[in-house]
Amino acid sequence: MYKLSEPNRIGVITSVLRLSDGACIPFDPDNTDYQKYLKWLAEGNEPEPADEA
Amino acid sequence: MAITRVVPALIQVANNVTSTTIGNTTSIPSLTFDASGVIIAASNTTVTVSNTNITGTITNSQLGTGAVSNTKIASGAVEQYFADIGYNTQFRNRIINGDMRIDQRNAGASVTPPANTVYYTTDRWKYYLTQSSKLTAQQNAGSVTPPTGFTNYLGTTSSSAYSVISSDIFTVYHAVEGYNVADFGWGSANASTITISFWVRSSLTGTHSGAIQNSANNRSYVFTLTVNSANTWEYKTVTIAGDTSGTWLTTNGIGLSLYFNLGSGSTYSTTADSWQAGNFIAATGATSVVGTNGATFYITGVQLEVGSVATPFERRPFGTELMLCQRYYWKNIPGASGVNLTLGICVTNQVRSTVWYPTIMRSAPTFSISSLVADDEQSALYTLSIAATGAGTQTARLAFTATGAVVGRPAVVQTNASTSFLDASAEL
Repeated sequence: MYKLSEPNRIGVITSVLRLSDGACIPFDPDNTDYQKYLKWLAEGNEPEPADEA
Repeated sequence: MAITRVVPALIQVANNVTSTTIGNTTSIPSLTFDASGVIIAASNTTVTVSNTNITGTITNSQLGTGAVSNTKIASGAVEQYFADIGYNTQFRNRIINGDMRIDQRNAGASVTPPANTVYYTTDRWKYYLTQSSKLTAQQNAGSVTPPTGFTNYLGTTSSSAYSVISSDIFTVYHAVEGYNVADFGWGSANASTITISFWVRSSLTGTHSGAIQNSANNRSYVFTLTVNSANTWEYKTVTIAGDTSGTWLTTNGIGLSLYFNLGSGSTYSTTADSWQAGNFIAATGATSVVGTNGATFYITGVQLEVGSVATPFERRPFGTELMLCQRYYWKNIPGASGVNLTLGICVTNQVRSTVWYPTIMRSAPTFSISSLVADDEQSALYTLSIAATGAGTQTARLAFTATGAVVGRPAVVQTNASTSFLDASAEL
C-alpha cells in the first residue's frame, strides 16, 4: 500500500510513501522501488491521496 | 693450443662424442656444442644471435634465480601482454564487496530473509526466496576462520529440511551495474570471455550450482561447482564464454547478475555449461542447501573478471569499497543520541532540509529513517517521519513531518537513540 506525498511549493507531487515501512520513494524511473510502485498501479491499485500541504 | 679464429662452417662435432668445447671454460671465452652442433653452454663471453631463430624451451634449471630482470624485458612488453589478454590492473573485479567486508544494513547481525522479496544482507548481496523461514543469512555466520587473506564471508544456514517444489527459488546473488560490464560486449559477436572465482565452504559435499543472467532473466548460463570436503574452504574458478545473443544492458540498469543456488525447483533448473534462453539459476540435480536442516553454504572472495584466467582477488582500500557500495546504499548511523544529520527550516508542522549523499548514486534513492528528531532549541524535540522528497542522484530535499513546528525557525535534524538512522537505497 502507498500514499502520495504532499506536493511541493509549486504543487507537484514528487514522491510516494510506502506505508509498510514509511519509506519515501522518489518518482525516478530508475529507482527499483518506484518501478514496483508503477507495477502495483498497473495492477489496478490506487494510492491513498496526499495530505494537504 | 688456443684457438684464435674460428670459421663457423668448419665446426663439426665428432659422432662418437657427446659434446665438444671450444676455448677455455675458466679464462678464455668458450662454447660447448652437443653432438648435433647445438650450443649447450657458453662461458666468459656473450653469444650474439642474429638472423636466426632460437628453438626449444628454456627450463627452470637453465635460468638462475632472479636471472630475468626488468632490464631484460623490452619496455612495454608486459603491459602489451596484459592489454592483449584484456587484463586490467584496476577494477578487474566487477563484483563490489566480493570479500563481504561491508555490511551497512545489518552490521553482522543474523537476518531471516522474507519470501518473495529482494532482501539485502552484506552490501550488494541479496537473497530471493519463494518460501519464508527456510534459511538465515549473516556476515561471518558460524564464526569459522575465513580463507587466508580474508576477514569476512557471507554465510547461509538452512533452517529446516525443505523439499523444493518446481516453482521454488532459493538464491543468494549479486547484480552488477551495466556501466561496469559495458566492455564485455555481450550480445554481440565480440563477447568477452569472463572468469568467476570464489571461496566456498559448505557442510554439504557434492555438486552445487550457480548462474549468470541478464536483466530480463531470459538469458542464462548455469555452472556447477563441486564441494569436495565438508566444512572446508575450497577455491573455485568458472570460465564462461561471453553470450553473443540476448540483450545485456550497458546503462545504470542491471548489466548481469551472478547467482549461487541454494535450492531451486525444476522450473528454474537446466543443464549446465551452455547459454540458454530462459530463466535458469540452478543445474538439474544440484545440491539443495535448504534441503538439509542446519546445512551451511559460505562464500567470500568472489571475483568476476574479463579473460580466461582467474587472477588473485583484487584488494581495494576499505574506503574505496565502501564508496562503491554507497552508490547503491548508504546508511547514516551515528550510533548515539544527539548527533546532527542535517540542518532544516521549520514550516507549519514540518521541517524541511537538504541532504547531500556520500557519493553520486545510481538513481534517486528511496529514503527511510528511524528515531530521528528535530531540535529548534526553543520547543520540545519534534519526532520526525518522512513526508516527502524531491530527490536527485546527488542531493535531495527531505520534508519531515514535525507536529508543532513553528514557521521560520531553524532546526537541527538529529538522532535520538543508538538505533537512529537515515538511509538511502538506489539498489538495482
